[in-house]
Amino acid sequence: MRQAAEDIVLDIRGQICPACLMITLRELNSNKEKLKNEKARLVVKTDHRDATRTIPSAAFAMGYRVSVLQRDKYYEIAMEYEK
Amino acid sequence: MYRSDFCMAGVFRDAYLFRDYHRMKAFFLLVCLLALFLYLIRHFNLISTYPPSFFGTPSAADLCGGFIFGIGMVLGGGCLLSTLYKLGSGHTVSAITFCGVLFGGFVSAAFYPMFRSFAASTVLLGDKTALEHIVGSAGVPVLVTSVLAASLALRWARKGGWSQPAYARGYLPLWKASFIMAFVIALVVAFSGRPLAVGMGYAKLSGIVGGLFLPSLTGKLEFFHTEAPRLLYGRIMDGGAGPAFDSVALTQFSLMAGVVGGSFISSFKLGEFRITRMPPGRQAFSAFLGGMLMAAGALMAGGCNLWHLIGGVPLFALQSMVFALGIAGGSFLGAVFIRRAVIR
Repeated sequence: MRQAAEDIVLDIRGQICPACLMITLRELNSNKEKLKNEKARLVVKTDHRDATRTIPSAAFAMGYRVSVLQRDKYYEIAMEYEK
Repeated sequence: MYRSDFCMAGVFRDAYLFRDYHRMKAFFLLVCLLALFLYLIRHFNLISTYPPSFFGTPSAADLCGGFIFGIGMVLGGGCLLSTLYKLGSGHTVSAITFCGVLFGGFVSAAFYPMFRSFAASTVLLGDKTALEHIVGSAGVPVLVTSVLAASLALRWARKGGWSQPAYARGYLPLWKASFIMAFVIALVVAFSGRPLAVGMGYAKLSGIVGGLFLPSLTGKLEFFHTEAPRLLYGRIMDGGAGPAFDSVALTQFSLMAGVVGGSFISSFKLGEFRITRMPPGRQAFSAFLGGMLMAAGALMAGGCNLWHLIGGVPLFALQSMVFALGIAGGSFLGAVFIRRAVIR
């Protein structure tokens, strides 16, 4: 798969539950064109464990390929549109 | 709870906001398992009095208390119990919610006589305290619940509704957490004779903290002098919101400390513990306000979500069932507030 040119980084560490999923969904929608043209990928930084269940599931249902990595005491969830 | 993020605020909130029913299914499984286990405990005479004397007659105060609690737990980002495990893993926003509960507990204590007379004047079903007083049998509700739960569980299993992948280290699936929690809670009830609770523990803590800063005002509040005999581990012990080392301090403080300590160890071992940054102002205000509302709701309804939802509801206590209706409505309103005013 072609590497997206730009990372849209969304750092939502420390925010109240359920901000992670709500903000991620909003960003996926507002950057839809860029993401669907594979010009960018959305990278979410979160310290909510549950976000590693809810965000991948929602993003996958919207047609995105998702990868999750544990970084230094937080999780990084990357979403790229899959044609 | 930490590993699965088993948050009761999320049970209703996720269903309303995202149509995500995973937590609701796990919660339903937990309640049904507990109903079955507690019935067996009763069958073997491990609960000495039944229907349990610690649940009273339902009233409009339980409905209103549940409603206020429901709004509060969504705005606070977690219920009274999940606030503790999130606090233990270093979440600053949960520390704010915790402070809100303590402050709310102190403020609500001033209204305690009003809450009590409201409850006494709005009794809903006469002297009936449990569903068996209405249906005439203790076994029928358990049987109906068990059959319903088993058929739904199988249906969800066929559709793959129990498994949703999560990528956090050491993640415990919600349904497994339900089994573990049901087993542990049933064991505690069997030995102690009482369901678990933390609401009065929070209230006691707010009285202790209030006593340090405002000793004369705290001394004047009737709520912080309420001590009543309780049956615990086969012995009669006093318990209440006063500063005494009593049954509430013994059971609820130890549970609170255990949840905070357990999640600290778990998050530390998983490499996730850290004091998180401050949330945005709106969210911090929401967390504090949510904590205050949870304290007020619990005081009005005579117990927290833990006491009612996984204590009284599995015992088919009418007071708790009315509280559950209130919490479902309040969570809906809380979800509307959080979507429109808090997370922008």
